[in-house]
Amino acid sequence: MSVPVGHYQYDRIDRDFLQARIAEFEGQVKRRLDGTLSEDEFKPLRLMNGLYLQLHAYMLRVAIPYGILDSRQVRKLGKIARRYDRDYGHFTTRQNIQFNWIRLEDTPDILRELAEVDMHAIQTSGNCIRNVTADEYAGAAADELVDPRVHAEILRQWSTLHPEFTFLPRKFKIAISGSPNDRVAARFHDIGILARPGEDGAPLFRIFVGGGLGRTPVIGEELFDSVREEHLLATLEAILRVYNAHGRRDNIYKARIKILVQAIGVEAYREAVEAELAQMDLERYRLTPEAVAAIRSRFAVPLLEAPADADAVLTEQRRADPLFDRWVRSNTHVHRDPGHIIATISLKPAGGIPGDATSAQIGRLADLADAYSFGEIRITHLQNVVLGHVRKDRLRELWLGLSEVGLAEANIGLIGDIVACPGLDYCALANARSIPIAQKLGARFADTALQAEIGALRINISGCINACGHHHAGHIGLLGVDKRGEEFFQLTVGGQAENGAAIGTILGAALPEDETVDAIARLVDCYLGRRESGETFLETLTRLGHEPFREAAYEAV
Amino acid sequence: MKRPVRLEPGQKLVLTANRLLDGRTVWWREDGAWDLRIGYAVLLDADGAEAELSRAVEEAQREGVVGVYDTAVLPVVPPEPVTVREKIRAHGPTVHPEFAVETAQ
Ligand code: HEM
Ligand code: SF4
Repeated sequence: MSVPVGHYQYDRIDRDFLQARIAEFEGQVKRRLDGTLSEDEFKPLRLMNGLYLQLHAYMLRVAIPYGILDSRQVRKLGKIARRYDRDYGHFTTRQNIQFNWIRLEDTPDILRELAEVDMHAIQTSGNCIRNVTADEYAGAAADELVDPRVHAEILRQWSTLHPEFTFLPRKFKIAISGSPNDRVAARFHDIGILARPGEDGAPLFRIFVGGGLGRTPVIGEELFDSVREEHLLATLEAILRVYNAHGRRDNIYKARIKILVQAIGVEAYREAVEAELAQMDLERYRLTPEAVAAIRSRFAVPLLEAPADADAVLTEQRRADPLFDRWVRSNTHVHRDPGHIIATISLKPAGGIPGDATSAQIGRLADLADAYSFGEIRITHLQNVVLGHVRKDRLRELWLGLSEVGLAEANIGLIGDIVACPGLDYCALANARSIPIAQKLGARFADTALQAEIGALRINISGCINACGHHHAGHIGLLGVDKRGEEFFQLTVGGQAENGAAIGTILGAALPEDETVDAIARLVDCYLGRRESGETFLETLTRLGHEPFREAAYEAV
Repeated sequence: MKRPVRLEPGQKLVLTANRLLDGRTVWWREDGAWDLRIGYAVLLDADGAEAELSRAVEEAQREGVVGVYDTAVLPVVPPEPVTVREKIRAHGPTVHPEFAVETAQ
């Protein structure tokens, strides 16, 4: 078998382990069904295998390590959606996929199907190190300094079944990027890692700790500026040991690493990590250039060949077709190879459900990946899909293929590109529904010309304070709250996930759904009316302050 | 343990759970069986509910359900849950009309 482009090639050890784990879970399911295991005993076991019980059914969360899939894996996900679910899947902000209508008794079979394509649901839940996320343009973007996938894979191997870290005080999320433009929300993760090349060419890692959203949103603080590659694992190990030993376990809301870092301060945390490092056997954790090279060799490098006129062909096609041109403007990113381009496929059709894809669409994505991008697909932390290496002269063909299955929405980074969690339509923890208000906003701003006119503006929606929809990090954020049995939405503005990470501030009293949609429309009008040439929503907000926006939002209330 | 449900005048209680095998939402019937349709739920008064709830919890494993609890409804036909959450459990996700749950025969 050839090595897949984009992700790590499993070997026998990986595959045997997955089979053993499935057999173990199958036994646990049997014992649950015959009553040998009570629900209380079984729940942590099923969660370790990514299986939640939601409002209407079980939900299975499948890991997509650093968000990268090959087409055979994508086809398998489509098949699972068709055969075991209701013909669709939901891509999440943590680069996973969730199936919403799973039967407990089918789960071992589903896990077996996943294992056939080297996939699983391990560590997608529970108080362990979760799926490591990475830049969705990894290995492709022109602005990238270090390809983060090799180290993401090293972290995946280090964190998978790490015996010391399977019962942490709380869940633990790591993101890694190798671009100066943070595309992974590094400062909103328990650990965020930004890689850059050092003087000797070997990468250096800037490490943030204690970021997070949820009930207590915190921007991660820099723990180390320049960790050398050889010490990356030792450093992470030490950070986790300090957390594991000192993180609170008495109160679930105070158990994340962010609370510990806030409580003792980042300097004290750094000292504790350094003390741990000083007494660790560093040799054991040393990441040698040979070890890194061995992992790197398990990733195939795409052969980027394009005709000399690829760029000219694209330019001409854009000139001839304004609709295509609009899509290229919003949905592509500059590739490191001048003959190629990165295409982002929006899973946010106007009025649709953010992040959902039907099995037919999933199947088509696999075909298009084979035809246009070396059979490789990435899932973004904004619930979209990326084809990383598309030849410029074939981009229009791809766009036409996407149009046939309703996947050619031109709205990436625009107001229609809404991030939303499942909310009260599915989620047992929700206060309010997130999807219907996302659909109403999507429909209100359906016109892609209007969206382009409005420019960069992100709306993030969570159905409760757990913040799965990253509402704190939205330029406009919506949080669903329950007011005496009614669904209300609290509006925040000014959040940002990337380089200038910021937590949104609350604009005023929570509003019912329809009034919230109207208030957002007025916020946008206020911005359009008062922006100076070339200013984005965030820039106008920064220049004017919140007051004019608050007045606009609440004027009719 | 869950807080006791506060009933407004005119409201009743029903018992609900999820089916162990497939997680589907079910409602407690007069005959002690669990039904997908809220139209078959037995309506209980606050006084009667406690005993029924303990019985249902005790029999949960044998009846193949998990997470038994009580929730308030308006005693119309079919009974209409008071909270949005339980309405959605009774009728299915609001964003997929094609998955609407039957509430009666
Ligand atoms: C439907 C089942 C889900 C459940 C039960 C669930 C539960 C939770 C909980 C309890 C938290 C807060 C954890 C804490 O701060 O200690 C959380 C955070 C989070 N979840 Fe979910 N979630 C679900 C679905 C999702 C989905 C669909 C997404 C992506 C769209 C997602 C992404 C996240 C993210 C990004 C965070 C916050 C970031 C952070 O860790 O601080 N979750 N989730
Ligand atoms: S934010 Fe709340 S409602 Fe939304 S998925 Fe997370 S836990 Fe559920």
